[in-house]
Amino acid sequence: MNQERHARAALWGVAAFAVGYLLPGTLQLPVLLYDPARHAAFIGRAPAGVQMRYYGDLLVAGAASLAAAALAWKLQPRRPPLGIAAATALSLVALDTLYYLSRLLVAL
Amino acid sequence: MSDRTLLILHAVLGFTAVMAGTHHAAHAVLAALDRPQARALRRFGWIAPAAVIAQAACGLALYPAYRVRVRAADQSAPVVVQLFDLKEHLAALALVLVIGAALAGRAEDAGKQTRWPVAALSCTGALFLWVATVVGLYVTARHSV
Repeated sequence: MNQERHARAALWGVAAFAVGYLLPGTLQLPVLLYDPARHAAFIGRAPAGVQMRYYGDLLVAGAASLAAAALAWKLQPRRPPLGIAAATALSLVALDTLYYLSRLLVAL
Repeated sequence: MSDRTLLILHAVLGFTAVMAGTHHAAHAVLAALDRPQARALRRFGWIAPAAVIAQAACGLALYPAYRVRVRAADQSAPVVVQLFDLKEHLAALALVLVIGAALAGRAEDAGKQTRWPVAALSCTGALFLWVATVVGLYVTARHSV
């Protein structure tokens, strides 16, 4: 029982991370941007020049992951079956991977 | 700490992470195949996430230097830029996969129905760590900070 609770929390955390990592970047949602040339952090949508949104995307994904894992831990959902939950979480991870791989393939 | 020292530390911690993540994945698969691995899963259940978090922290600290010194110079090679981006995204996904697999695999009362999901998370995390390591080595060999 305790093992299943751990596993469900982990799977919800992974699924939420995959969604929270992909969506802000693809939808150009405002996140924390960092300009390493000026050592300045600010909220914005599209980084210009050497500015980066990696920290902001990681923060959003990490927060979504922690929130989802905590909710699953607290609410202890019994569905879907663990195998389906794992397949769903890994499918979302695969979706992220395919999207980033497609950007590499476009540059080839 | 200089950027080059940080890069070497990042590489050492990266190798530690990929080895620990691979060990965890191997033990998780053996556990799923009904071979008792509780002790090993507990041991690598803290070594793997600790190593992955440490190497990710080094990578995050190093990233601004890469953006300014390497990426700007590599604009003539967009494939390398995109390859590095893929590595960063895989490393982020590996971080949550390894931590998730480690937390789920550490529970004392290991139920049979949870073993394959843990093994799947752990194997995917280890695979991403391997890809990120190889791509990181390639990009660094081509143009270092």
